[in-house]
Parts: sequence; structure tokens; C-alpha cells
Amino acid sequence: MSEENQVEEEPKPLVLEKLEANHADALLAQDESRGTVVVVIHKAQAYAVLEYLKTDPELAYTFLVDVTAVDNSQMESELMQFDYARFMVVYQLYSYQGQGRLRVKVPVHENDLSIPSVTGLWQGANWLERETYDMFGINFDGHPDLRRILMPDDFDGHPLRKDYPLRGRGERERFNFDKQNV
Amino acid sequence: MGLDFVGQGAAETDGNIITTTIDKVVNWGRKNSLWPMPFGTACCAIEMMATLASKFDLSRFGSEAIRFSPRQSDLLIVSGRISIKMMPVLKRIYDQMPDPKWVISMGACASCGGVFDTYTLIQGVDQFIPVDVYIPGCPPRPEDLIDAVLQVQQKITSGASPKGVESVYE
Repeated sequence: MSEENQVEEEPKPLVLEKLEANHADALLAQDESRGTVVVVIHKAQAYAVLEYLKTDPELAYTFLVDVTAVDNSQMESELMQFDYARFMVVYQLYSYQGQGRLRVKVPVHENDLSIPSVTGLWQGANWLERETYDMFGINFDGHPDLRRILMPDDFDGHPLRKDYPLRGRGERERFNFDKQNV
Repeated sequence: MGLDFVGQGAAETDGNIITTTIDKVVNWGRKNSLWPMPFGTACCAIEMMATLASKFDLSRFGSEAIRFSPRQSDLLIVSGRISIKMMPVLKRIYDQMPDPKWVISMGACASCGGVFDTYTLIQGVDQFIPVDVYIPGCPPRPEDLIDAVLQVQQKITSGASPKGVESVYE
């Protein structure tokens, strides 16, 4: 019991305080998951918030650990939370200034699958965004080289979407060796 | 091996004359110096490395001369998962190997896709290249790979054509 009380008395993470002070309009939701602060950001302000998180000297989330996405199309409880946005682009950040890890989620609607690229902030976002494009079909505006990275160039579809069949659409059986440039 | 000693009885020729055929001598050479081209894409390749290392020592069977150039090899060991992006590479490497050539499909993934029944994985490389010997296992033990090499050697000794070649012994 004493431990539980201790948790409740913990001060609010600095990142939440600063986001509420500076980007309150962009903050759709905030949460905590196994010790990691989770914030959901409006897409229109996503780049500005991420830039703030990186450049603010106290926060300094200088390390972009991962960029990925989640397809919530078959998860009604998740969908209705954020105005039926099918995809959630997820950025995992890490700060060496003592703030630790932070997860930034950005809802993306299916009818507007574009989101600003963060390659200008973190060089490492390049391949991560390519992978997210390849697997989910999310377009990263301003990306220097948005091509498929895992699937063959002539592949059709985005296989980590929930409506893509697990065994594919026959790509592994029909094979055109002449078409592929090796 | 197909060698017959003749001239038994006469002291000066006893055991000194051997009759055979060109094919059998050539096959004897091929059999004892298979040069493998490793196509290791997954954990089976680790077992392949163990097979080549000192404990199992594939050189006992004359197949230790691993070549990473397909043009110098006559035994393709496909060890691991082959994705649809990798299959054209594998096909090209197979095509680049000079005849006669043999193929070992090592492990469950190469032979049938294994547990990876997904959109991106070839469900058995034999759909696209001819396979002479399959090895079951996930991954197979080094002894299994040695056994497969010995089976290839047996095929060569028997004079059978490799799966991918119409006939090399005309």
C-alpha cells in the first residue's frame, strides 16, 4: 500500500508539464505505460511538437529510437478514441538528459495518409519512415527518398495492414523472374 | 568406385593394371571434392558453419572448399528462409553455377517454408530451382548436413544426373 501511495505522490513528468504549458492545443491525450510517458499529438502540430521535444534544452529527446505505426481498423475501442483515425504513427524517443523514454503517437486518418517527415530532426528517421511507408502505406511528406525498404519494389499493397491476408495474395507462388532486376 | 583390377595371376602385372571408364574416374573426382556454395540466410547457416568447423569437419568428406563465388562451386546449400525478394538472387546464383551442379535444401524453411506460412516467404525453394537432397529439421544438426553431402556423393557415384541437368553423361 505504501508503494502505491508513493506513486501517486510522484510529481508530474517534466515533459507533460512543459507540453501543457507550450503545446496544450496539440495534446490530444496523455497516458503512462509501464513507466513510459505516452502522449497523443494532433497531426497538424506533430512536427512542431517533435521539434520542440528535441530542441528544448531541458527535455532534449535527441535519440529517435523507432518510428512505426499501428493499424487500429479492427479495434473499435481504439478507433473511437481519436475520431476514427485508422492509423496511429508511433515515435519512440529517448533523452539522455534524465527524462528517459517518451512515446509520441499521432492519429492518421485513412483519407489523408500523409504526415510530415522528421528526417530533418533525426537523420535516423530515414529508414524507419521508409519501413512504415512500406508496411502501412503512410506517406511521409518531405522524406528525401520514400521507397519501399523491405518488400520488393514491384510489390503491391502494404502487408502490415490488418486487411492484408497473412498468406498474401499469391505473390509467393506467382513469380516473374524476368521482371525483377537483381 | 568402378575400378576393376585385371592381370591377376601373372606376377609382374598383379594389381598394376586397372580398367575403368572415364565417367567413373571423373565422378570419383567430383564426389570427393564437392565445392559448396553456401546460401545461408538464417539459423541453418549457423549449423552449416558448425559442420565446416573442426568439431564436425566437413573436410573429412572433401567438401570443405567453401566458395562464395557460384562460378567456382558445384554444390548449392540453401540453408535458411528465402523471401520473395531473395528468390531472384538465389535463382541467379543457381544459374551462374557451372554444370553439373547439385542442390541441398537444408532445413524446414528452405524445403517447405517451415513455420513461416506468410505472404513474403517462398514455401519451398524446389518450386523454382531443382533440389537433389532435402534435409528435415529446424535447424538440422551438423550430422544431418554431413549425411546430405554423403547422399549427394552417392548420387554422383551412381552416375545419376543432378535434378537440374538433363544429362551430363552423354
